[in-house]
Amino acid sequence: MHMSREAIVEGLRRLLGAESVVTDEEVLKHASVDNFRKLEDIFGVYTRPLPAAVVMAGSTEEVVEVLRFADEHGINVVPRTGGTATEGGLETDEPNSVVLDGSRMNQIIDIDTYNMQATVQCGVPLQVLEDRVRELGMTTGHSPQSKPVAHLGGLVATRSIGQFSTLYGGIEDMVVGLEAVFAGGRVARIKNVPRRAAGPDIRHIVIGNEGALCFITEVTVKLFPYLPQNNRFLGYTLKSMKTGFEVLRQVMVNGYKPSVARLYDPGDAGLHFSHFAEPDDCVLAFMAEGAAGISAATAAGIEAIVGEFAECQPVEGKLIETWFNNLCWGPDDIAHENERIYQTKNVNRTTEISANWSRIYDIYENALRRIVTEIPDITMAGGHSSHSYINGTNMYFNYFYNVVDCPPEQEVDKYYLPIISIICEETLRGGGSIVHHHGLGKARVPWVKEEYGSSFFMLEALKQAFDPHGIMNKGTIFPSDVVK
Amino acid sequence: MKVLVCFKVTPDYEALRPADWERVAAGSDETKFVHRVLNVFDESALELALRLRDAVRQAAAGAGRAAESGVAYGDVRLRALTIGGHDADPFLQTLLALGYDAVARVPANGALDFAPQLTASVIAAYARRTESDLLLLGDRSGPGDSGLVPFLVAESLGWSCLSGVTELRASAEGALRLTWAAGEGQQRATLRGSAVLAVGNAVVSCLRVPTLTDRLKTRGLGIDLVQLEDLGVHQQDVVASSGLAGLEVVDRRRAGVILDGRPPATLARTLLDDYLAPLLETS
Repeated sequence: MHMSREAIVEGLRRLLGAESVVTDEEVLKHASVDNFRKLEDIFGVYTRPLPAAVVMAGSTEEVVEVLRFADEHGINVVPRTGGTATEGGLETDEPNSVVLDGSRMNQIIDIDTYNMQATVQCGVPLQVLEDRVRELGMTTGHSPQSKPVAHLGGLVATRSIGQFSTLYGGIEDMVVGLEAVFAGGRVARIKNVPRRAAGPDIRHIVIGNEGALCFITEVTVKLFPYLPQNNRFLGYTLKSMKTGFEVLRQVMVNGYKPSVARLYDPGDAGLHFSHFAEPDDCVLAFMAEGAAGISAATAAGIEAIVGEFAECQPVEGKLIETWFNNLCWGPDDIAHENERIYQTKNVNRTTEISANWSRIYDIYENALRRIVTEIPDITMAGGHSSHSYINGTNMYFNYFYNVVDCPPEQEVDKYYLPIISIICEETLRGGGSIVHHHGLGKARVPWVKEEYGSSFFMLEALKQAFDPHGIMNKGTIFPSDVVK
Repeated sequence: MKVLVCFKVTPDYEALRPADWERVAAGSDETKFVHRVLNVFDESALELALRLRDAVRQAAAGAGRAAESGVAYGDVRLRALTIGGHDADPFLQTLLALGYDAVARVPANGALDFAPQLTASVIAAYARRTESDLLLLGDRSGPGDSGLVPFLVAESLGWSCLSGVTELRASAEGALRLTWAAGEGQQRATLRGSAVLAVGNAVVSCLRVPTLTDRLKTRGLGIDLVQLEDLGVHQQDVVASSGLAGLEVVDRRRAGVILDGRPPATLARTLLDDYLAPLLETS
């Protein structure tokens, strides 16, 4: 039974109090989108259905109340914390949705330096946690570019990954335990133990669910010693991406775990390294960290591997260190970029995929060639590999285009989705995964069945089991035919 | 009209941390490790020049006249000049791709960084050499800036000079309508004839971006390298840049207290009772 907007708002106010239910139109507009429609947001054009309210939950109990209410009345709920998602996962697909915002749940509950884990509420910004544990000589090891503004709840919900993943892993390797509330208001706490084999690992039902199954209220993550004094930076220029991928592969296969291992193609390198790289240069960048002996051995091992490739020319480590120190984007950087986009109508987008070593170069080359030839108004197209594994790596396509003769609300259809389509097609054709760490959101849902193939029924079963009334973030991850 | 726009490519000083600045003070050239960026005021000047040309051509086309009609201000030719090393070349190539008619660089790796008189001589000489009618540049060039170059150039050329320019438009009569910051407000005037316009905090602060196709079309176009001697500046004139005498960190952080963690109503009450009310009582 569909409730009216007014009835929804009144019901929420009765549950949580008026001060926790925001109905200001400007707030609702911003809450109806994420970075997928950043151009619309920048130009103040909002095309998504307006939510009924943004509810600022202050506790797990309040999340329970809201989800129970929503489930009872068939109201679409969009979980949200830092709002830095990029694939439309936070868009309100239905009129009078409720955006359930956990950013008020911002307490650091416990920092356990003996068991090396920290427990926080979902609305704790990662930078806040990181700063706090660094005071104790520790680090979370998690450093996505959005670190200054992203919150732990969203980082877990999107199965995020950080710049140091080659050493510390992705968020899935860092999460120890968590608490989540499912549709209908059922609370699940997964305890903090180092490992268990008591059936499948149910944390992975929550990690990466993008709010389509549950609302994450609390997270416990691992901590690591923070030893920046031992950081070593290595950089090389080279002409061939193929060579670069082979260098990365050998670093990983030989067991080295630098925290940063990146390969930039000439287009992307031009944005970061033009002060020392030629226009046709690729760039390899490494950082080794950890205990002094480990860092030294890692650096020495990488140097030995790269030394076997004559075309790789070393550059001063300080160049890489300085670049590395400026990788993360804070609110001021975002504001500056938004102003640049507003003035120039030149939009920067990224799409990341992953594939085995034997496939990644062909996927990269085929996708890039198609982007440049099929999409109009491209001003830059390139990419870099930034997360490597023993069996493959990711490719982070980075591209800019001018929005020409096109209102802001049509930019996604004219440019962004066609590019995503090219990348997903080439990736699936090459046997890779269409999404490495940004999440499916709503943008890549058209390819989710092909992504999963015969295993899709397993994903489908999760939705039917945990959200039988289909109230959790409609349109995210699951196609509409999955939602009953 | 021949417009010359001068710009400077600088290290991205914001990428340097306090520890890096300490090393700079001790004589280490930490700036070589950071990315290069356009001086923001020069960037405004470059974009304003493009917009001026677009507007003039659009007006001419709309009036049914050919763009190159030869009528005063009937067309705008754009030329860009920078003094510096080859790290400025990517920016010059970008300008060619954006439609600048010619770009030039005077090779001088930091030699003129703290020599406004010589810098002005170079720019003025180039303006004469290229018969430019209008000269645009930013009114500030970053750390170490003297603020004198626009005025010294104007003095050398015998032209008017206006600083703090925020807007530049072609007027119907073929003159230029200028807006500039004056005190707390703005002033406007019509310019006829040659002038040096130093661009300040313009609303337009970002240079447009050329497409890959634009870049491909202009890839074969060259950058004009002009030696100092060709502009009448001789090596013996280039005194070694004034050395860095010292660096002092200016703490621009605003004092503040962060209130968080409570419902908005409680925060508002705290703000009023603990911070605003005492101020109101004393005022």
